[in-house]
Amino acid sequence: MPLINFAAREINYKIVYYGCGLCGKTTNLQYIHRKINPDARGKLVSIATEEERTLYFDFLPLTLGTVKGMQTRFHLYTVPGQSYYNASRKLVLQGVDGVIFVADSQITRLDENVESYLNLWDNLLSQGDDLSKLGFVIQMNKRDLSDIFSVEDLNELLNHTDSPVLESSAVTGQGVFETLKVVCKQVIAKTA
Amino acid sequence: MTRRKGLVINDRQLDRCDDLLRKLKEVSGSSFLALISTSGQPITTASDDYHPETLSLASLAASSFAATQQLARILDENEFTLLFHEGNALNLHVSQVTDQVLLIVTFGRETQVGKVRLYTQRAIEVLRQIFEGLEDDATPEMDAGFEAAAGTAMDDLFKDV
Repeated sequence: MPLINFAAREINYKIVYYGCGLCGKTTNLQYIHRKINPDARGKLVSIATEEERTLYFDFLPLTLGTVKGMQTRFHLYTVPGQSYYNASRKLVLQGVDGVIFVADSQITRLDENVESYLNLWDNLLSQGDDLSKLGFVIQMNKRDLSDIFSVEDLNELLNHTDSPVLESSAVTGQGVFETLKVVCKQVIAKTA
Repeated sequence: MTRRKGLVINDRQLDRCDDLLRKLKEVSGSSFLALISTSGQPITTASDDYHPETLSLASLAASSFAATQQLARILDENEFTLLFHEGNALNLHVSQVTDQVLLIVTFGRETQVGKVRLYTQRAIEVLRQIFEGLEDDATPEMDAGFEAAAGTAMDDLFKDV
């Protein structure tokens, strides 16, 4: 549901990073904030607990610049991953144009990944949006760790939509921008 | 062309909104006004010399308002239609215009809350008509080359990171 302001020549897309607690959603945003040209980004806003766990969301606006006369922006959000924050996750999903599902590749996190993935689709369906118009990418994070699932296994468990899958290590930055680029191109294609 | 249900604003609608916000600012004695979408994106603002960081403000105000709506449900109230924060020097008033649009008003201690609420309520009735007419108006189409040009801009932005 992008906000297209033809009068002000602006278009704004909302991208949400979704996934279980400690899967690396905030780390993705922090890496983007650290590495991207400061002129192309705004402030990173975090509503977190004292232990730096996301309480409500993180927010980072990115400006793509003027494209065909339209000032084009991506508003990046994360959701709180812990299961008891579902009310907050639903609020952050309002008006979303694209979702990056961040999967924690560690074998020990299987249940949390599946629960979060099912919860995402429950919440999207409850919004009543046309999901065929939603950008969706799966990021398999923490590929730098040992004791992780193979990409094929995770793909079978978490990709019923046959969506693009990218491997990443948000801590080192591997795959972070590649994932963002895929979902940004998807949401633009679905609007144009 | 297919498009998801979204908020698309044309010149005439934005001019009417800007005009109304300017008038509301004058009569209510407020310092800063903004129309934002309920998904947290700014639409337009009116201000003389006070310019808060609009993107963060819109994101936080929309989220805060959405949380307020959920609080209403938990308390078995149909809806809370406004959100008010009182500060030492500045007050923040957020109210619902339509399902997709919110109005933010900030004002100083010298301005009465009742005055802001009265004029804001009147302005919302007019704003609602402007936004509810959106679907009836013909809206411009995106430029045919937008997708390709945006792809190139993205490649440029991310190439050195």
